[in-house]
Amino acid sequence: MQDTVDPDFASFVDARQGRWLRSAYLVYGDLHRAEELLLRAFTQLSVRWTRVDDPDAFVQRMLYQPALRPWNRAKPFPDEEDPVKLALAELTPAQRTVFVLLHLEELTEFEVSELLGLSHTAVHAHGMSAFGRFRTAMGAGDWRDAR
Amino acid sequence: MRREDVQPLLLQAADQLPEPELADAAWAAGVRVSRRRRRTVVISVIAFIVLAIVASILIEVGTSGNADITPPTTPPGYIEASGKISGIDYWVAPPPGSERFLDRLDTPLGDRLELPDKVRPLAKHTLETVAAVVLVKQGDRYAPVLLGADGSWAKADVGLVTVGGESPLSPGAISPYGRVVAFPQPGELITVNATTAEISRIPLPAGEFRSVSWVQDEQRVLISGPGAAYQVVVGEGGDGEQAVIPVSATDDPEEITSPYRIQTGAVMRYLFNGRWMEDGPLTLPVRSWQGQTMSSNSAAARLFIAEKLPEVPTRVSQPQVLAAISTLRTLPSRLLVLGEPQDNPPTYEGAGDRPFVRVAGCCAVLGWYDDSNVLFRVHGWVLAWNLESGRVRRVTEMRVDQVALGPGLRL
Repeated sequence: MQDTVDPDFASFVDARQGRWLRSAYLVYGDLHRAEELLLRAFTQLSVRWTRVDDPDAFVQRMLYQPALRPWNRAKPFPDEEDPVKLALAELTPAQRTVFVLLHLEELTEFEVSELLGLSHTAVHAHGMSAFGRFRTAMGAGDWRDAR
Repeated sequence: MRREDVQPLLLQAADQLPEPELADAAWAAGVRVSRRRRRTVVISVIAFIVLAIVASILIEVGTSGNADITPPTTPPGYIEASGKISGIDYWVAPPPGSERFLDRLDTPLGDRLELPDKVRPLAKHTLETVAAVVLVKQGDRYAPVLLGADGSWAKADVGLVTVGGESPLSPGAISPYGRVVAFPQPGELITVNATTAEISRIPLPAGEFRSVSWVQDEQRVLISGPGAAYQVVVGEGGDGEQAVIPVSATDDPEEITSPYRIQTGAVMRYLFNGRWMEDGPLTLPVRSWQGQTMSSNSAAARLFIAEKLPEVPTRVSQPQVLAAISTLRTLPSRLLVLGEPQDNPPTYEGAGDRPFVRVAGCCAVLGWYDDSNVLFRVHGWVLAWNLESGRVRRVTEMRVDQVALGPGLRL
């Protein structure tokens, strides 16, 4: 592994780091942690840069799968007053992760399922309940009224 | 709220975040991780090698330097020698009556050596190698019946007369390669070629010849009687060689054997010209020798009746000892003392055979199975004594009076 950064790797990171940092921030509710996880994922990618077939999937798995682990129970968005962040804080970690990936990253349920290692049914259920709770928290009524 | 409204809300919530610059930091961290992994692998390999060296040193120290895998110095089934007689290790043979329960040495002789019901003439059924010869009485004559290495029997078309009232079968009758059998007769030597069924009669000076012994080249035979012995050319011989030359003889006809003869005080080696030279001195408590000396590539064996042996006391018989004297300086000589029945007088309770007392003349060396196993006759049995392990095995139960054994025994 060469000491100077690979230009392809630098281009890859530059093109995605802002978007993934925002998604990770909304998933974990902690900017410092989101940055730390994103840096770790890019570091692991740099070690395997020439051998990884799908770098996007590799980084996203390393970035979002820790959110589903049962010891990830830090309270998200502490000391925040933004209603969107407060509504996200009402969701469980799994719901929040699926919700962000579906609506911000605009992935399909199948892609989310493969990325997080969950069944499609589970992803669908987490997505529906997350949307309902988010609506309720935002004061937009019962989720079943949504179209 | 519709689903389409969610994305703008989320983008707005994360809109204030600073733009990160992670490429250089991630690559630098990756370089560090890569180096650390490489260093870990190298250290692990070195640690493993060091641990292996330390472990081997500890094993070496813990076993007092005897950690090497050394082959055993004794063969499987080795029996410790019972002691020494005249400085030679001796073993004690299993007692009479126990022969049937010994391990068996498999040979063409089978479990029991008895005359076959049907025998083909040798002229019609020649043999490649002779394993054994027995004599069949036909009126006042004997006919030799030969056992081949394949287990088949064949009868030679020749009539033999008794010599001095005894049958004319000598333990050394079969030639070293098992092709020819020689019989001593009054005033002549008769040979039977098993491969061609050819019978030769070689006239000799008058005399009662009782013993024959082949010279190793299979071209000459030593034939001896009381006080007279000759070397007889039965094959091609050398240029100008006399067919019959006298050999220095003793009163014991069975003492004249080739290539070695064991006698009181020395082991003698035959020199092909009717003379002998001493191969080595021999100090044993011998009263009299029994049978012929039979030689292998590394030893000569003969049985003797001993003076009283304090090492192996006997009650009713004179101790008999089979002496296997090494003819190679590097190998030790060994003795096998033939035992007595364990009870006095011998009792027979139905298990095993009647425990005969091994009296003088019952036993003699018959030959060699290979360089390690000497074959000898006891009352009713042929046994094999393994010189390397000291173990005695049964070869066959004898239902014939006499037998001569040859190299065809080796399967």
